[in-house]
Amino acid sequence: MELSGKDNYLSYFMNTSLFNHLPFFKGILSFSFQTRIVLKKHYLIFCSLALLTAVILLGFIFTPYDPVETDFLNRLSPPSWQNWFGTDQMGRDIATRILYGAGWSVGLALIVSTTGAVIGTIVGLLAGSLGRFVDGFCMRVTDSFFAFPELIAAIVVTGVLGPNTVNMVIALILVSWMRFARLVRALTDDVKQRDYVLQAKLNRIPYLLILTRHYIPNIVLSIIVVWTSSWSRTILSISGLSFLGFGVQPPQAEWGAMLLDGKPYMLTAPHVMIFPGVAVLITVLVLNLMGDHLRDYLQSLEK
Amino acid sequence: MLEVNNLSLQMQNQNLLEDINFTLNRGETLCIIGESGSGKTTLLRSLLGLMPLSLGSVRLNGQVYQSPEKTQTGLPSTQMVMQDPIAALNPRQKIKLSIAESLYRSSLKASELDQAIKQALKDVELPEEIENRYPSQISLGQAQRVCIARAIVAKPDILFFDEPLSALDAIIQKQIAHLLDRLKKQNELSYIFITHDLGFARHYADKILLLNHGKVEEYQDVSLFFKGPESAYGQELLKAAYILGSLPQKKTKENRAA
Repeated sequence: MELSGKDNYLSYFMNTSLFNHLPFFKGILSFSFQTRIVLKKHYLIFCSLALLTAVILLGFIFTPYDPVETDFLNRLSPPSWQNWFGTDQMGRDIATRILYGAGWSVGLALIVSTTGAVIGTIVGLLAGSLGRFVDGFCMRVTDSFFAFPELIAAIVVTGVLGPNTVNMVIALILVSWMRFARLVRALTDDVKQRDYVLQAKLNRIPYLLILTRHYIPNIVLSIIVVWTSSWSRTILSISGLSFLGFGVQPPQAEWGAMLLDGKPYMLTAPHVMIFPGVAVLITVLVLNLMGDHLRDYLQSLEK
Repeated sequence: MLEVNNLSLQMQNQNLLEDINFTLNRGETLCIIGESGSGKTTLLRSLLGLMPLSLGSVRLNGQVYQSPEKTQTGLPSTQMVMQDPIAALNPRQKIKLSIAESLYRSSLKASELDQAIKQALKDVELPEEIENRYPSQISLGQAQRVCIARAIVAKPDILFFDEPLSALDAIIQKQIAHLLDRLKKQNELSYIFITHDLGFARHYADKILLLNHGKVEEYQDVSLFFKGPESAYGQELLKAAYILGSLPQKKTKENRAA
């Protein structure tokens, strides 16, 4: 059976996925000339990212220790060839715990910032693209969530729901989506005024198709940039909450929880706190730099 | 074909448009002229159902499409070409998809759709390869041709133009004006232009609608209008155009003699 104009238009759309027209993604896949230029210009950040990922993966594979298994004969031993970053108060290898902690900190932060981005994008899209009433409603809800300081609100929510990992994730999602909603709303409002959206409306293209064809492709790059910075910010929040005892609970190897564990030994065995702290620092720094480079690159694409 | 009766538009107790009447027959070109803020674009938007009317009606082939009771976004068998061609094309969408949008409501078969897009590009004298490019990869003149291709691909009866030439340089203006003229004759199209360019209006229009503060100052044949407008506002506008050189001097002398 032959397709009608409408179906064919849709099949056109299916064939051209949201991203395949973005030279950035295309370039990464095909290692084009442009990619080489990007790699040359941003080589430092790519190298450090690759190095970080390689170290974590190699560590996972080759570490002889278990992150939660205790060894009381080997408590608080300083860095050595056997235990590169030393051991903690339970005799657990800190290097191994930091590697496993990367999974908790970075992984949970990824879940939180991605979910926040999705919720915020949906709210922002609706607010920016639909009428004044929906806009007013969505933005007042966003404002009311903004009224509470982020970390305090997260502490209250985890305090009420009970301190554990799932509740911490819920709490952090609840306090992180608004930034995306505001950004996406402003971007959508801008796209809404563009002539191509007006033209699509005059051609009576359905709302959902206008959203996916015109709004989302034109705002997705900005969302990605904010998403990377939100990711690093969430790592800090997770570590902070865990440090305060509201997040990932011992004996799980989360960086914030490790800092909390090491606090009593700060003066006698400082390595117990220093290494998890440095891990947070480096990861947040690399993610922030990645966001900056991504933004610079995408801005250069726009020109 | 297109009939506008007593069209009025009020917003926040302000009369944006007042008692506008005109008709447009097949193959005719109407130029809507007037100073900035006179309501030209508002008139176009209300014709296309982007602003609800307070009074009057817009009929197309006898059927009412816009009235105070009923507003329909986009009239059937009409298309619009915008002022800024680059802003009118989605920067993240290939040219062929932008053109395909006009055919969304058509009942064309899959194979015919591709063919129609290629034919439209050919009609506006663009190479076929351009359909796989993005708006940032083509020139301003090409972008305006793409916009015209998008408009004609759905085989409309009426095309609306909102200052289609003002963003282009003189040579491309001339090329596009010739192209529009050829397309009009070829497909028996009717055009409604919004323009500031009186020289263009005199050359291409059949009728002139002169707006001032949302009211029709003058609605008549182009030759009569340029011979000597009836309204004081029309005379003043023409005088200004002669002085500034947007209309040739020769005509001024004729005018003075008349």
